[in-house]
Amino acid sequence: MKNGLLQLAACALAVASMSMFAGCKDDAAGGNTTGTSTGTAGSGSEQSGDTIKIGLVVSQNGELRPWGVDCEAGAKLAEKQINDAGGIGGKKVELLIGDSNSKPEEGKSAAAKLASENVIGMIGEVSSGITKQIKTVALEKGIPLVAVGATNPEITQEGQGLISRVCYTDDLQGPVMAVFAYDKGLRKVAIMTDQKQPYSTGLSKTFAEKFKALGGQIVAEEFYQSGENQFSGQLTRVKSKNPDGIFMSGYFTEVGPMARQIRQLGMDKAVLMGGDGWDSSDLVSSGGDAIVGGYFCNHYNDAEDRKEVKDFLEAFKANNNGNLPGTTMGALGYDAAMVVFDSLKRLAAASKEINSKNLAEEIMATENYPGVSGSITLKGTHGDPAKRALVVEVQKTAFVFNKAYEASEVMAR
Amino acid sequence: MDLVLHSVGGLSLDFSTLPQQLVNGLVVGAIYALIALGYTMVYGVLRLINFAHGEVFMLGAYTALLSSWVMGFTPDAISKAFKADHPLTSSPLNLVIMLLVAMAVCAIIGAIIEFFAYRPMRNQSRIAALITAIGVSLFLQYAGQLFLPANPPPSISQEVNPYQKVVSFVLSPAQMNAAGDVIKPQMDITVTVGKIVMLVTVVILMLALTYLVRYTKAGRAMRAASHDFDSASLMGINVNRVVTFTFMLGSALAGAGAMMLATFEGTAMHPFFGLQPGVKAFVAAVLGGIGNIPGAVLGGLLMGLAETLVTWIGFSQYKDAVAFVILILILLVRPGGLLGSNKVEKV
Repeated sequence: MKNGLLQLAACALAVASMSMFAGCKDDAAGGNTTGTSTGTAGSGSEQSGDTIKIGLVVSQNGELRPWGVDCEAGAKLAEKQINDAGGIGGKKVELLIGDSNSKPEEGKSAAAKLASENVIGMIGEVSSGITKQIKTVALEKGIPLVAVGATNPEITQEGQGLISRVCYTDDLQGPVMAVFAYDKGLRKVAIMTDQKQPYSTGLSKTFAEKFKALGGQIVAEEFYQSGENQFSGQLTRVKSKNPDGIFMSGYFTEVGPMARQIRQLGMDKAVLMGGDGWDSSDLVSSGGDAIVGGYFCNHYNDAEDRKEVKDFLEAFKANNNGNLPGTTMGALGYDAAMVVFDSLKRLAAASKEINSKNLAEEIMATENYPGVSGSITLKGTHGDPAKRALVVEVQKTAFVFNKAYEASEVMAR
Repeated sequence: MDLVLHSVGGLSLDFSTLPQQLVNGLVVGAIYALIALGYTMVYGVLRLINFAHGEVFMLGAYTALLSSWVMGFTPDAISKAFKADHPLTSSPLNLVIMLLVAMAVCAIIGAIIEFFAYRPMRNQSRIAALITAIGVSLFLQYAGQLFLPANPPPSISQEVNPYQKVVSFVLSPAQMNAAGDVIKPQMDITVTVGKIVMLVTVVILMLALTYLVRYTKAGRAMRAASHDFDSASLMGINVNRVVTFTFMLGSALAGAGAMMLATFEGTAMHPFFGLQPGVKAFVAAVLGGIGNIPGAVLGGLLMGLAETLVTWIGFSQYKDAVAFVILILILLVRPGGLLGSNKVEKV
């Protein structure tokens, strides 16, 4: 080639965009699997030896790390409690952990690695995008998967009786916020969507549908990508439509700075709203005064007066050097692990063989399991538990409970 | 003719927000320009695309964060102040310290990277140096995951920023008809004082750079080395020192850009957040003509404006694609860049 710059620049860009979009990295930094298995490896997905191996895929690194570490701590607490109480049918349970590094493709390879280590069930992930990839592995290997925080409705569709979750879905979360916004008297709402996240695009869609059905008006929908840090262009368009509320369906990492920039453009009155992607103790430190007074939908609240919540928080504190979980993923990770262990217990009690197929059936037969995040029923629900959702208000020092919605009452509106 | 809402081929163009969008684009572009300068200066001297430049930017933002913590604006102190209802107050001096510390630390990091990673590769093929640059970039990202606070992604507290006042310049007031309906919305530009400060600082930095490159001995040596590296060394110029100086200068500018972005926009940081601005600034440098200093500034501003204008016409979902469309077009039509020379080069 005659032009050196052309060649060099094109080559350089190709490499740069590769690392930008695909993640040029072959191994996880923090840890792949903890603890090598002690029992002899079983054939296929049968379990032999004296431990029952369950895989857990979490984001130990990357931008979802705050949720990943909480989820891992919650699941480990469940593992410890079960083993301290004597295990399941005389066998210990063992969580094998794979790091997704907050990336879908690495989540897939982590899941494949766990499957090759003969786990009989899998738990994970906190985000829908990564869970979609883990699901493909679970379906291929016939291993049941319990998702932790993946709220996108598509996750459990065509799950072949293997895929379930312990969280509510965006089919509930979006409408809950729409009903909440409408009841608050908002009629003109703008939407900010993170187009890189299936979670965000799905949530924006369900919110908009319900809000329009209620008689409200969506005056604008603007897009950004996670990782972006200046939103002034999109927000200027939003401002020109003069909305009385803004629904931000992305994750807290972008929502915080975006809230600041909304106020910087002079939109002082607009009510800020979002989904469980806001749930992080970091939301207030990155959003500052701008985010205070915003509302979002969440799975449970630390201040709830229920035995499960209090017991969980106490045990979590004792197991994690006195620290409380920073996000709800601690509780959801714990619930997901407990749903799996509870199913194993029922298998052992009925002296059925412990393998992937029986476990999948037993998980899908879960009925009224008293989880930290509410009662979980998977029987006859195609893997989506009908759970209630809470709306919490962001205040300077805490997220304060504002209103609870039952799934049935929201859908009836 | 009603100039406010124009419909062109199904697009609704809202001219009342155009001045605001141009200002937005200018602010975004100013940061791209600062980063692009680093790419272009290093390329000018070494013919090397320093892909670790985005990571230097990232480290600059973290340096600004840590220096704000050292000055007492830690999350703990702030939440305590929140609870006690005694908000912390900051002075512009804090920002100046953060800016200078970020620039100095980045300059040192730039020099270290050059010394350990690029100098041993100086006489190797260019592609080897390029791969090294990508290696350094990945190394800094993943080392950052180990050592930098990223859980949760921190951001510089807004308490440290005394320039939060929002000012609004009304260009033309809203017009209403007899019934009280708005027939022409108000045309205004709303910015924080911080953004004005930021633009002024960028201009000052660029003037200082121009002076440095044009009128000082070090600048002359830099230009000589960029013109002909080998002859410059034969003429008694210490080219190693020139290269180090170039890296320090470029990195310091990236540090300044990072500090201002993190402080005035409130960006949440993680060890990968230099990637996107880095790639976009690289496109800006190519657009302006890589190796050409005014070209980098022009390219940065054009990139910022292009991105905001795409948003303005209602295609925010294609905002990031614009950078790459521009890159492809410029490589096809004018590979040397807008201000670059189009001379044929042997590899």
